[in-house]
Amino acid sequence: MNERLEYWVKIPVGPIHPALEEPEKFIITLDGERIINVDVKLGYNLRGIEWIAMRRNWIQVLYLVERICGICSFSHNHTYSRAVEEMAGIEVPERAEYIRAIFGELERVHSHLLNLGVAGHAIGYDTVLHLTWLARERVMDILEAMGGNRVNYAINMIGGVRRDLEEKHRRMLLDMVKYYREEVMPKIEEIFLYDPTIEARLRDAGVIPKRIAIEYSAQGPTARGSGVKKDVRYNEKLGVYPDLGVKPITPKEFTGVIKGDVFDRMVVRVGELWQSLDIIEHALDQMPEGKIKAFAKDNMVIFKLKKAEGEGIGRYEAPRGELLHYVRAEKGRDGPAKWKAREPTFPNLFAVARALVGEQVADIPVAIASIDPCLSCTDRVAIVDAETGKKKILTEEDLLRESYKKTKEINPKLKIKPERIGVGCMRGGVL
Amino acid sequence: MTPEEFLERIKEKFDVEAHISENKMPHPRRRVWITVGKDEFKELMRLIKEIDQRAQFSIIIGEDRGDYLSAEYHLELFYEQEPSLSIIVSTSCSKEDPTLPTITDIFPSSLPYEREIQEFLGIFFEGIPDPRRLFLPDDFPDGIYPLRLDEKGIKPEMIKNAGHPYNLKKGGAQ
Amino acid sequence: MNLLYATLSLILAYFYVSIASLLWEGIDRKLVARMQRRVGPPLLQPFYDFLKLASKESIIPRNAGKLFELAPVFVLAVSIALLAYTPFGFTPLFSTKGDVIVFIYLLTLIGFIRVLGAINSGSPYAQIGAQREMVILVSREVPMMLGLFAILWRLSKLGVSKPFSMATFYEHNIWEIGTPLSFIGTTILLLVFLAWLASEIEVGYFNIPEAEEEIAEGPMAEYSGRHLALFKLSNSLKEFISASLVVAIFFPWGIGSVLGLTGVAALIVDVIFHTLKVFAVLFISMSVFRAITGRLRITQAAQAFWLRTLPAAILGALLLAIDILEVIA
Repeated sequence: MNERLEYWVKIPVGPIHPALEEPEKFIITLDGERIINVDVKLGYNLRGIEWIAMRRNWIQVLYLVERICGICSFSHNHTYSRAVEEMAGIEVPERAEYIRAIFGELERVHSHLLNLGVAGHAIGYDTVLHLTWLARERVMDILEAMGGNRVNYAINMIGGVRRDLEEKHRRMLLDMVKYYREEVMPKIEEIFLYDPTIEARLRDAGVIPKRIAIEYSAQGPTARGSGVKKDVRYNEKLGVYPDLGVKPITPKEFTGVIKGDVFDRMVVRVGELWQSLDIIEHALDQMPEGKIKAFAKDNMVIFKLKKAEGEGIGRYEAPRGELLHYVRAEKGRDGPAKWKAREPTFPNLFAVARALVGEQVADIPVAIASIDPCLSCTDRVAIVDAETGKKKILTEEDLLRESYKKTKEINPKLKIKPERIGVGCMRGGVL
Repeated sequence: MTPEEFLERIKEKFDVEAHISENKMPHPRRRVWITVGKDEFKELMRLIKEIDQRAQFSIIIGEDRGDYLSAEYHLELFYEQEPSLSIIVSTSCSKEDPTLPTITDIFPSSLPYEREIQEFLGIFFEGIPDPRRLFLPDDFPDGIYPLRLDEKGIKPEMIKNAGHPYNLKKGGAQ
Repeated sequence: MNLLYATLSLILAYFYVSIASLLWEGIDRKLVARMQRRVGPPLLQPFYDFLKLASKESIIPRNAGKLFELAPVFVLAVSIALLAYTPFGFTPLFSTKGDVIVFIYLLTLIGFIRVLGAINSGSPYAQIGAQREMVILVSREVPMMLGLFAILWRLSKLGVSKPFSMATFYEHNIWEIGTPLSFIGTTILLLVFLAWLASEIEVGYFNIPEAEEEIAEGPMAEYSGRHLALFKLSNSLKEFISASLVVAIFFPWGIGSVLGLTGVAALIVDVIFHTLKVFAVLFISMSVFRAITGRLRITQAAQAFWLRTLPAAILGALLLAIDILEVIA
């Protein structure tokens, strides 16, 4: 048996690899083309967000949390607000709940279209990548009109939302829903349910059996593709989602057969696209008038939160699965005593690493792309800046000065003075 | 199973502090918060797994509370019901003896979370099958736990500050 | 023949085919981009790429063997040698009896040297890519050779000067036999050849060894700079040459004689017409195929060869053989 081990090759997939969107390292032991073992090592996107959050106040953590990830930025925002509201007992007006639901579903549409394109790219089918990303542009336009930005639209505030939906937004939304229903979705269904290349590659690739999905607590479309019927919006009776009729979607409704492979996860995403379009329409119909914030002025939020104490948990269904934030407050502090987030890619990665054993090398990028890895969310714990031996540390002013010097070489007529724009925070370190 | 029934079943066997919280959403959501000591912790986890074989394990939240270290575990039971059961179990251990029993034999999916708490907070889980580092690089110094607030945390000279307005002194970098 | 004349015409052919094939690659990328609703790179992009790559430093990994640096040079040399036997709209320069076998040998040798170069690079990714290249190399030549020999045998019954050589295609045409059996047989073989062309260029379904950069960077993983430029150039040459074979077998008609030109003018017009036909065949086999399909797994691609293409080739060859028996009998 010892001679066989000589032929086993260990190749690292990552951290930098054309197949991966974000850096992670999988060390794969191969026997020819068959995978024997997969080992996951994370930590390449570690930015020290938890450590930073221990030293900021409530509203600053809200904006910090949003920047954990580009695609699920609204989800983080939303979940953090839910956690704080649960802890402090703040009640959110109903119109704000509906606006939150609309934004959440818009983000889900945009993220699922992105992931469908990435799956197409992983199997070499570039046409699918370009066309689905082209279809995404419409959603991004709407998000920019409503939220002000294509990603990181800070629409949530603790106790409500910051911007209201006007009449022209409503018309744009209904136009967009009609465009997607009639022109984009039939084509996407044709590609992802019936195309021969997709079926040949994605069927029976990266199979996660139901038992492993339950044991490893897989989340989101990864779990639903294997037949585990869970969805946080349904299980938590979150906000106004029960009124809008949300149910977990499994591939049984589309193809009738559940195998737990990559094809099923894509089918689940296509189904969720249909569901999101329905939810947006219903929400627009049912939205009542009223205020959008629980506290009219934002300063009052900190004032009220300073007196609160207790613990709160917020859970929400991000496009990738269950997102959970935990917040603990002590009286008299103007920031959270402890904040922690858990995003869905973490258990999904380990579930898919376990499921890849016994498959072929060709299925690695497809399987990894199918769980929609968002490693920026996964690596967000405490700070690791160790010394590198560099003695000189350039400040923002130094860097600005260097860059303006170069501009002056090109065009000496410009009058520039390097200075920082904006004022720093009034108080020093919070702890 | 409603939260009250669940709590009754737990209280039959163990003597724990627990309360049910309810938040103020349009459909209010209730969660069960249980605090248990280190010795009965593993038995309590076994009982929870008996009540529902398919319990989903979410997260371990570890915290440094001054003179003791606490760990809170969030679980979700009965995930197919409309309001599923959301439980938070909280234990603690002192700083002189930072160990806790591992639950990877009951919930195999808790291994990465235990590894993360081991390297960031310094709690050692007895019987953990794979104690390697998960997030931190391999050349990070031993004995320094980034999330602690006492002398074992990050030292100030380990932080590089490239000009953040908070810590900027007059004239440039630290 | 005159040695000077032969050398000069080979060098001229080399330059012409390099420029034409790089131009085709630019056109192909632009067409595929328009099919995907993008703008695409400028038409002369492959020239810029080649010049840029040729001017960059080549990095040689520490574990590389001796053949690592020699492999690109060998591959380019074999491609140029292939040019001597390529039909350009008229009988190739060095054609002799049985030169089709030399043609196939050289074509397969290119793939083999790529595998050697990949194995010598010392990277595990390249090893996996080399394994796949070997599997595809072995699988794709069999249906093609069967079809090619069947056609040549059929044509040689019509009386040719040099049996089993490229010159046969310009003396008699496979379509002019006219019997329905041979027509069906030839159509089946046309489809087999188009599939073979797609797998020779490695696009679409068969984009497995080289651009399976998704997982394992493929045999080109460790090449950079000048070596990579040579590899890419020889790839482009191989595309052109393979498509020339298909054009010569199935669409060999020239227009020089139709327009009544003779001598050098006829040669030039024939060459240009041949290039246009090559572009048309490559459009179907390369651009459209690339835009509408993804990539298969290696096991599925091998099955596609042995279970679909080979029976089709056998069927086509059988039909042609039955046709010959009728003629004799």
